Amino acid sequence: MTDLLGSITLAQADFPQAMGTLTLGHYLFLSAAMFALGLIGFVTRRNLIIMFLCTELMFQASGIALIAFSRFHLNHTGQTFVIFVLTVAAAEAAMGLALVILLFRKRESLSTEEWAEMSG
Amino acid sequence: MVEPAGRLICGRSAPDGKPPLDALINPIVLYIACALGAVGVALALPTRGVSWRVPGGILAAGAGGLVVLLMSLNASKSDQLPNLYFYAFAALALGSALRMITHPRPVYSALYFILTIIASSGVYVLLSAEFMAFALIIIYAGAILITYLFVIMLATQAPVEGDEELQADYDAQAREPFIASTIGFVLLAVLTTMIFNGLGALSTPDAGDALKHEARVLQRLPLKVDTVLDDAGLLEDNERVARWSQGGDSFASLDIAGRTLTIENTKTGQTRQTNPEQWPEDLYATNTEMVGYSLLEEHPGAIEIAGVILLMAMLGATVLSRRQVELDEAAKAHEARRLHGSEDPS
Repeated sequence: MTDLLGSITLAQADFPQAMGTLTLGHYLFLSAAMFALGLIGFVTRRNLIIMFLCTELMFQASGIALIAFSRFHLNHTGQTFVIFVLTVAAAEAAMGLALVILLFRKRESLSTEEWAEMSG
Repeated sequence: MVEPAGRLICGRSAPDGKPPLDALINPIVLYIACALGAVGVALALPTRGVSWRVPGGILAAGAGGLVVLLMSLNASKSDQLPNLYFYAFAALALGSALRMITHPRPVYSALYFILTIIASSGVYVLLSAEFMAFALIIIYAGAILITYLFVIMLATQAPVEGDEELQADYDAQAREPFIASTIGFVLLAVLTTMIFNGLGALSTPDAGDALKHEARVLQRLPLKVDTVLDDAGLLEDNERVARWSQGGDSFASLDIAGRTLTIENTKTGQTRQTNPEQWPEDLYATNTEMVGYSLLEEHPGAIEIAGVILLMAMLGATVLSRRQVELDEAAKAHEARRLHGSEDPS
């Protein structure tokens, strides 16, 4: 099978052979570590904008996992899905930053503690 | 010792009967590295007073490097190493992600995040997802992050150079760094255990199916096939494969795995097959064409939904960030007079 793939020009396999599972493990570890860092940042930082940035980091980590699986399965649906992840990230950035600006105008601060009474 | 969770989830065991986690890394080492990483990240998070930022960062980076090094040593035994550039991009991505969540100044955090994005797009290129790599740089680094930078600059007072005391308290002091990074790294340990255990149950895909799919995509691109075949000299004079253009009188069916073309001329009724040696090397669907096919042929409804989401986000952002101007009665009367100008009685 790998000989077959190596002998032909194939867009999915610019790298001549199908990806091994252990290689996939490296990419998934990168994705998991990035996600964990984003989560830590989201929980620890007290600046509203940085918290939004950390969610973007988590989106990015999921994108790497999707693309790695897409490459492993020689299937382009994973890459297509990353386009939709980007769409949601863009929409979230627009709405989130508008909300942040709204909150900043009311209290002149980006601190999350300013809005502790919103916890319901 | 460690229950191989992959067997429970996927219902299939690893080919050699060994827990797949052990095939990549010793679980004890993985958990010790996670604990070290948790301590490192907790120390690196911003605090007032004595800063442990540098040793914390080095500790976290060392723990991550140890895990990747051991994984690579085990993977090299079965010759499954990733591309060497992967290590550079992964180190850049994780290092700048760490710097992003630990930097006390928001603008620098956003700039480090741009670095993470660029390194991730390098990883995308290694995974032969060229279209998404460039889309990522254009959309994320070019558009989304610039919006973030603008909002940060609008909403943050300029810090005096070198004066940490004037830094806003919510930026200079992290909230519960040790508990948070413990939670984060417990999550990382669980995720890696589950993922590595599950890897053993994955089966390598059938490349033949992928090639058949690619041939299907190429059938939808008759003009490209026509150009490539014409350049390779496989078409007779005035013969065109492109069905819709003038003289489109042939039909080519591709067998990529067998490297043969069957060209059927509908005018003369002749069918001929090419040799594998004649196969034009340019005849393949690029990544962009494959993603475009997947996007437009397989998920057209999702594009519509994405468009609606973006429209709603645009409207929502406009409505939310609009500044309401409140005028009292005297100011309203003054504005009305100013607008009407000459009708002013006074």
